[in-house]
Amino acid sequence: MPTTLAERTAGPPVGRTWDDMDAFEAFLDAGGIVEAHDDMPEAYRLEVFRFIELHANSELMGGLTERDWIPKAPGLRLKQIFLAKTQDEIGHAHLLYMVAADMGKKSRPEMLDDLFAGRTRFHNVFHYQAVTWADQIAIAYLVDAAAFASQRAVFQNCSYGPYKRVLKRIVAEEGFHMRHGEEMLMRLAEGSEIQHRMFQEALDRWWMPAVQLFGPDSSDDDPLMRWHIKSQRNETLRHAYVQKYVPLLQGYGFTIPDEGLRHDPDAGWLISDIDWSELRATMRNGGPDSRRRIATAAGSHADTAWVREALEAAA
Amino acid sequence: MTRIDLGPAAAEHVLALADDEHLIGAHHSTWIGVCPFLEEDLAFCSIAQDELGHAIGLYELLTDDVDRFALLRAPEEYRSCAYVERLMPGWADAFVRHWLYERAEQLRWDALTTSTVPELAALALAADREEAFHRRHAEQLMERLTTPGTQAAAIIASAVNDHVASAASLFTPVTDEATLVADGVVARSAEALLDDWWAGLGTWAVAHGVDLPPRPTAPGPAARRSRTDDFTTVHGDLTAVISLDPTAVW
Repeated sequence: MPTTLAERTAGPPVGRTWDDMDAFEAFLDAGGIVEAHDDMPEAYRLEVFRFIELHANSELMGGLTERDWIPKAPGLRLKQIFLAKTQDEIGHAHLLYMVAADMGKKSRPEMLDDLFAGRTRFHNVFHYQAVTWADQIAIAYLVDAAAFASQRAVFQNCSYGPYKRVLKRIVAEEGFHMRHGEEMLMRLAEGSEIQHRMFQEALDRWWMPAVQLFGPDSSDDDPLMRWHIKSQRNETLRHAYVQKYVPLLQGYGFTIPDEGLRHDPDAGWLISDIDWSELRATMRNGGPDSRRRIATAAGSHADTAWVREALEAAA
Repeated sequence: MTRIDLGPAAAEHVLALADDEHLIGAHHSTWIGVCPFLEEDLAFCSIAQDELGHAIGLYELLTDDVDRFALLRAPEEYRSCAYVERLMPGWADAFVRHWLYERAEQLRWDALTTSTVPELAALALAADREEAFHRRHAEQLMERLTTPGTQAAAIIASAVNDHVASAASLFTPVTDEATLVADGVVARSAEALLDDWWAGLGTWAVAHGVDLPPRPTAPGPAARRSRTDDFTTVHGDLTAVISLDPTAVW
């Protein structure tokens, strides 16, 4: 912490430079943390920026997915809780867009324009529609847990300092969301026949998108692994998720919507081979609800341009 | 808070304010994720949560089962005013309603801070602390959107003009209000609060070069017992899930 006036008024520290990619990767392998003012290799800057932009977009569009059912929340405190949770997601987007903008590739308005024009991506799960209240719970239980596992794995060994610091808060809040999802699931699982059936139907819709959230098996030359952004391979995270959630859901009397699901004494729960063409199409904004989701966000953004213009002029 | 034994008129007054807070909070909550900018998403969402919290506090004075009471009454049993029932899909309308509502709400809560019903006075004091932040938010944003000669100022001025007559319904009294005032349950009549609200708007309008329509009048107490067409849509959303199984714990 700066303590003297000179320290407090000094500009940012001079960024570090590396002679070449080998030197940079050696720095990362030794546990080095890259800061925004460092002269990082352009390939690293671009790859990390894209990853953070995808994360930011996903937090924002995830908030919109959950927004649909907030007006119908079956209780006032539940409405407050889901509002607070969605507010967290929007808050995460807010933080992540700042971190991404500081990387100097795009400003926040440019990132939002690209998102609303369909030029950039967001996670597959937010291209699906929440059809019933139980879908809202499935998102809280299944999707938040998958997102939590993914983000925690990034936080554990993240080499980009500003992202790691923001992830510390995001992971903590997502942990709350995950526990909230567990409590909400219990209400439906142990509730009336209608509630139990609703969640089974939601599980049928959300199991596979949640499993796909981890992505296809990581390639051996994944730069995000090599540069210490991701700390675990996609298939490792996916397998751990399946091991945890299959028995939990079965324990509540639900059926995993996978006819090929089997238990191997050595490997644990094994799911059917995934057809990744669905994920690829979804990530190209060709998912079941992609068009409506993007149109809602883009329409609101366009309709309120006069507010942003007025504030900019008044600043 | 816990349920207390209020007389019929006081209970009616509490219910009217509770339903207004509930519905304004419900409307605000629909803006999460689609406000003009991310910071406003976060602010408006917090305000929505606060308003719902105030509604909960008031409902708890009336019932032991807030959710079923708040959501599952028949439409004719609500006491909301017409202004909070209106659907407003555009941001200018939603924001101007927020601004006008906050100004009215300050007066309505203030009139309860000295209530002879201690639980109501305590709740009013607690709510007023949060409302101060809401008002600051509304007034600051309003100031920045009303730079004379700008497109935004014209949009806002038009919306304010469109709203004031309907917004006066926030001061719709309940039956037997005179008794409540005489007993000190509420310090001042709704008509007196409307006078103050209108005077404040007049000061703002002069400062910002906005012409206001003539002073509106609030509807009579019977209006608290009738619902607008928009209420059907709002109520449909409120009950969409809980009515699937009203006995279940959701």
